[in-house]
Amino acid sequence: MLKTLPLCVCAAALALGACGKSASSNTAPQQSSEAKQAAGDKTIAASLDQKGKFFAAAKAVGLDATLAGPGPYTVLVPSDDALGKAEGDALKAPTDPKNRAQITRILTYHILPGVILSDDISKAIENGKGKAVLATMGGETLTATKDGGNIVLTGGNGSKATVTQADIKASNGVVHDIDAVLMPPATAANNGQPPQGK
Amino acid sequence: MTRLILAAGVAALAISAPASAGPHGGGHGNGGVHAADQKQGGGQKQQQARQARGGGQARQAQARPSRGGGERARQAQARPARGGGQQARQAQVREARGGRAHQVRQAQARPDHARARQVRQAQAREQRGREAQIREQRGRQMQAQRGRGNESANVRTAERVRGNQRNDVRREMVRRNEALGRNNGPVIAARENQRVALRAREGGRVNFAENFDNGIRGCPPGLAKKPVACMPPGQARQFVGQRLNVLRDEVAFRDLPSRLQYVYRDTPDYYYRYGDGYMYRINRTDDVILSLLPLFGLGYTVGQPFPAAYPYYGVPAAYQPFYPSSPYYDYRYADGYLYQIDPYSGLIEDVDPLLGYGYGYGQVMPLAYSAYNVPYQYRPYYYDTSDYYYRYAPGAIYQVDPTTSLITAVAALLSPNSLAIGRPLPIGYGAYNVPYAYRTTYYDTPYNWYRYSNGGIYRVDPATQLVTALVVSALT
Repeated sequence: MLKTLPLCVCAAALALGACGKSASSNTAPQQSSEAKQAAGDKTIAASLDQKGKFFAAAKAVGLDATLAGPGPYTVLVPSDDALGKAEGDALKAPTDPKNRAQITRILTYHILPGVILSDDISKAIENGKGKAVLATMGGETLTATKDGGNIVLTGGNGSKATVTQADIKASNGVVHDIDAVLMPPATAANNGQPPQGK
Repeated sequence: MTRLILAAGVAALAISAPASAGPHGGGHGNGGVHAADQKQGGGQKQQQARQARGGGQARQAQARPSRGGGERARQAQARPARGGGQQARQAQVREARGGRAHQVRQAQARPDHARARQVRQAQAREQRGREAQIREQRGRQMQAQRGRGNESANVRTAERVRGNQRNDVRREMVRRNEALGRNNGPVIAARENQRVALRAREGGRVNFAENFDNGIRGCPPGLAKKPVACMPPGQARQFVGQRLNVLRDEVAFRDLPSRLQYVYRDTPDYYYRYGDGYMYRINRTDDVILSLLPLFGLGYTVGQPFPAAYPYYGVPAAYQPFYPSSPYYDYRYADGYLYQIDPYSGLIEDVDPLLGYGYGYGQVMPLAYSAYNVPYQYRPYYYDTSDYYYRYAPGAIYQVDPTTSLITAVAALLSPNSLAIGRPLPIGYGAYNVPYAYRTTYYDTPYNWYRYSNGGIYRVDPATQLVTALVVSALT
């Protein structure tokens, strides 16, 4: 009995070791749990002001579900003041179905793929000799430059916005607050419009 | 002797343990492995159910374990030799996957699911009955109007012959280009990729009609198979000014999905009803239809003549490389949809939706998006349930209400300028954008860059700016 006991223990240890090795060999590359913890549990949708104009506009076009999903996205959020002053009537009446297309285009112009922190934008500006072009989820681009220590973003129609608060981390991306609304390029926006008096 | 037997036992245990742990171990967000695992234990009954449902079977297979203990018990009976060990492992895998996907699913889950489903089924039966009556009535009207079937059949045959000739010409042009060494590769390949993604739906059109049995029905027989709202806009416009109860035999009116009531909001003066691809605004005091809004572009469908009011190309710049007009195909953009038109007959041949150009939330998902077509990396998050379907179309994954076919949310945005191995890094990806969890593993060096796009992290050669590899499929 005494002879068999150590052998059984060895067998169990071997089996467990084999299990552990097998499981780890099937895993995806190691993710940094510290980085995930630093991002917190709140999604982008949850970290936005639920009574704010940006969230109301996102909800009106069904993008609130997008910002609560897996992402990851980088979202540029204009202040309520900026949204109130934006050109056109679309953002003033977000729930009107006729404004839905325009709002979708404006909001997807403020959503970028992946997590782009302010440092990443700064490095890209440095590498790009003073400017960096950033792709948006709407299929267009905007340009980032530096003005003093601030990051300035330029959209279509000469629209410009400065990042007022950067790197608000969420579990599915990052939010940068900006002080103006960036408008998608006019050429693309008007190109697809049907003729008048259809 | 005893030692010899025991040593043999030890060796056997050491060999068998990893083998049994292998296929069921892991537990790291690997949807494919998990789905396959669940499928193995499904038994014949589950397979039948899956076949009957059409698209999205793999995801339903994943959803199944959460539906209650009965099924788990059946699985246990089917695999007595595996016992509880596998269940425990499955539970571990589910726990490990947990996190966000679980939260998303929980948010979608309904508390009194069974009761709500019974009520829905009863309503659907009632609605189907009404719609069948309407269909029959319309069918009779259509048959009376037809009477020139043979003639139109001849026209169709002639058109088909012309179509074949056009295909021959196209093939010849491709051959000539190849012979001349012209390289239209990137544009053509990109266009074809897009088309393949869009037209993966073709195969499952019949299934979709079954899945969306309560969807855009109530159509005349000829239009019921078409991939859009079935009522011609001219006919729909005639309903404005008429009372709702008079039209109940003509249109299968429905209540709106609850998520869309935020957009089409009832007021003390009027309320909204949905029917046959149109949203109707109705006066509350006398139930008269005040106005209607087509929820599928212009309300025109495949096989109908494209309206002459749109003579210009008009395709948004971002999509122009994918839809160039040619002697064989004409493209027109209108109200959020791209129409492919036969330049000879002027008939609409295909309809594609474009997010952000009018199409999206609150609109009808084209019936042709029949098969479950969500990209692999997003499948663990977005799979079909009895409450929602998910479909991919250019730019987004949409959440669709199965009873009305209306889009109830944009579940995820997908970048139109996606990265692809062997292609140049698209403009706009100069900045590092890898998700938090992967930043310590994949960071830029002088020899390699890493960029995130549509669920994957890609390696880029900084010198050539070419995408060299997909290093990991990553979603937070």
